[in-house]
Amino acid sequence: MTEASSKSATPKDELLRLDGVKKYFGLGTAPWQRSQSVKAVDGIDFVVRRGETVGLVGESGSGKSTLARLSTRLLDPTAGKVSIGGQDVTKWRGRRLRPVRRKIQMVFQDPQASLNPRQSVGTILTTPFRAQGIRPTRAQLVELLSQVGLSEEHLERYPHEFSGGQRQRIGIARALAVKPDLLVCDEPVSALDVSVQAQVLNLLADLKDELGLSYVLVAHDLAVVRQVADRLAVMYLGTIVEEGPAAEVYSSPAHPYTRALLSAVPVPEPGAVRDRIVLTGDVPTPIDPPSGCPFRTRCYKAEDVCATTRPVLEPVAGGDHRAACYFPEAPLELSNPPLSERTQ
Amino acid sequence: MADRPVLEVHDLHVTFRTEGGLVPAVAGIDFAVAPGKTLAIVGESGSGKSVSSAAVMGLLPSNADVKGEVLLDGRELVGLPNDELRKIRGNDIALVFQDALSALNPYYSVGWQVAEAYRLHHDVSKKEALERAVRMLDLVGIPAAKARAKDYPHEFSGGMRQRVVIAMALVNDPKVLIADEPTTALDVTVQAQIMRLLEDVQTEFGTALVLISHDLGVVAEVADDVLVMYAGRAAEHGSVKDLFYRAAHPYSLGLLGAMPRVDVPPRHRLTTIPGSPPSPGSVKTGCPFQPRCAYTERVGERCITERPELTPRPGEGNHEAACHLGRRPEVAP
Repeated sequence: MTEASSKSATPKDELLRLDGVKKYFGLGTAPWQRSQSVKAVDGIDFVVRRGETVGLVGESGSGKSTLARLSTRLLDPTAGKVSIGGQDVTKWRGRRLRPVRRKIQMVFQDPQASLNPRQSVGTILTTPFRAQGIRPTRAQLVELLSQVGLSEEHLERYPHEFSGGQRQRIGIARALAVKPDLLVCDEPVSALDVSVQAQVLNLLADLKDELGLSYVLVAHDLAVVRQVADRLAVMYLGTIVEEGPAAEVYSSPAHPYTRALLSAVPVPEPGAVRDRIVLTGDVPTPIDPPSGCPFRTRCYKAEDVCATTRPVLEPVAGGDHRAACYFPEAPLELSNPPLSERTQ
Repeated sequence: MADRPVLEVHDLHVTFRTEGGLVPAVAGIDFAVAPGKTLAIVGESGSGKSVSSAAVMGLLPSNADVKGEVLLDGRELVGLPNDELRKIRGNDIALVFQDALSALNPYYSVGWQVAEAYRLHHDVSKKEALERAVRMLDLVGIPAAKARAKDYPHEFSGGMRQRVVIAMALVNDPKVLIADEPTTALDVTVQAQIMRLLEDVQTEFGTALVLISHDLGVVAEVADDVLVMYAGRAAEHGSVKDLFYRAAHPYSLGLLGAMPRVDVPPRHRLTTIPGSPPSPGSVKTGCPFQPRCAYTERVGERCITERPELTPRPGEGNHEAACHLGRRPEVAP
C-alpha cells in the first residue's frame, strides 16, 4: 500500500479509474470466426472515489460483469487503461498484482460456486492472508466472521452446512480479509430470498459505515441498487449510456433507455397507474452492435443522426449527471410526473 | 369472486417419502381461481409453492403422496389414473416453467414442438397442427412467426423462448394456466413484455392464471388474489390490496419491508426478517414462522404450542391470516 500513489497526479481519493477500456472476446480460431469478436466492453471511462458506492446496472449481456472483472484485473483489457489507487496497473501480471489485490477485492454472485466445498470456513478465510504472505491468527479469523455477523463456532464448518445468505456472508468475509478499500460485488444478492437479501444489503451498508469501504455494486435489480448506491452507471451493449448521482438518475433519468428500464420495474403498489415504456425487441448482439447509438434500434426517440455517430456522455442539467444521447429527456421537476407530460 | 372458480384446491397435502423419513412439503393449503382472474402464490425457497403447482398438475415424482382435493371445473384430479390425467394436462390446464431453455427440446424446431402439443389433444393432420402452431407463435408476439417456426430453441433469445413456451401452453386453449416464476430468468424490460402478454391472453381467452412468484412487484401488478406461503402452509390469503395495504401476518409484513423499492428514495436500512426460511417439516409444533417472528413475545406460549389456522379477518371480506396476534401487526419489526 505504501508504494501506491507516489508519482501519480490523480487525486488520492480515486480508488479505481478506467480510461477508454475495451474488452473483446474472440469467438474462436476457425477462419470464419477470427474476424469476429464479442464487444463485451466497448470504450468505457469509469471512476470510483473513496467512500462511495457506485451501482452498475444493465440487462444481461450489457457487459457489467466483464467491467467488474476488468476493474479487479481478473481480465486483461483489449485496450484502454486501468488505474488502481492512482497507479496504472494495466500491464501488470501475476505476482506484481498482489499489492493491488489488497486494495480491491471481489464478491461473487453464487456463494455456492465460489466457496470450495472441501475447505472449512477457517481454511477459506486463511487463503487470502496466505496469498499476501501472512499467517492469520485465530483471533483475526474470528474478527472477520464477527464483522459479517457469524461467530467462532462457524470456523470449523463447511460451506454446505450454511444457508445461502450465510454463505454470501462468508464470501464477503473472505473479501474483507486483506482489508481492501474497494469491494467489487457482482450480483451479491440475486441468488438470495427477499428476506435474506435485505440482511446482506444491510450488512454491506453497515460495513461501509464501520470500515469506510467503497463498493462497485453490479446488479440487474434496479431496486436493490437504489437502496445502496450513491452513484449510478447504466450500461447498454458494452457502453455506459448514463451516469450520475443515484438520486438524480433515479428521479430524473435522461437517457431513453434508463427511462424505459426504470419504468419496467414492477412496483409493489396494486392499482397504481404507471406509464410504462415497453421496449420492443431484444438487445442486439454484441458481435455486431448497431452503428451509432447502440440503443437506437429499440429507442422510441431515434432519428437519422442516431445511426451515424455514437453519442458521447455529456452533462445534462449541469453537474455530475451525464447521458450519451442526442435527445435526452428534460429533467423532471416533480418526483414522479406522468411520462406523457414530458417535453422534447 | 363473482364467477365460479374453474380451479379449486382443498386441503392439499404433499408428503415426500425419502430415505431420511417423511418430508411434508405442503401441509394443507386451499385456493381457488376464477376464469380470467389471477391468483399469485408467493413464498421463499422451500415454502412449497412450486410443489403445490406440480401437485395440481399431477407432475410429482412417485415418492410423493398427494392428499386433498384438486377440482378442475368440479372434476377431481387427485387419484386420476395417468392416462386420464394426460388428457387433461396440457389441454385444460397447462404449465409455464421458469427456465424456457430446459422446457424445450433442442432437437426439434419450435413450430414442431408447439404443433406436437396440439396434436396430442386434437385429431388433426401435421399440416393443420403446424398452421395452428404458427398462429399461436404469432399471437405471443414472435415476429415473422411462419419463418421462425422452423428455427430451433437455441436460435431464440431468452424472452422469445419464453414466448414459445407460452405459445405451447396456450395452443389447446387451456382453462387454467399455471406459471411458475415465468419471468425470473428474464431482464426487466423483457419481463414487462411477457407480463403484458399474459394479461392480454387472459383478457382475450378468459384463462385463469396461477402465478407462482417471489417478486412482490410483479404480484402487485398482475394478481387479483394472493396466497402467501411459508414452510408449506398458508400464512395469509386475500385480495392483492389486502396483502399490500392491510398485511395481517408478520411474515407478509416482513417480506414487504425487506423489499427494496425502485420508485421511492432509499431508506436508511431495510427492515429484515432475522434468520432464514426453515427446511420443510422442521417445525413440528406451533407457528412455523415463530422462530423468526418479532411478535412472538407479545403473544407468548401459544405461538410455540399451538398451530395457528387461517382465520378470516373481521370485516375484511375474504382476507384471512394464520396468526395468533389478534390485531394487525404494525410496521415491520
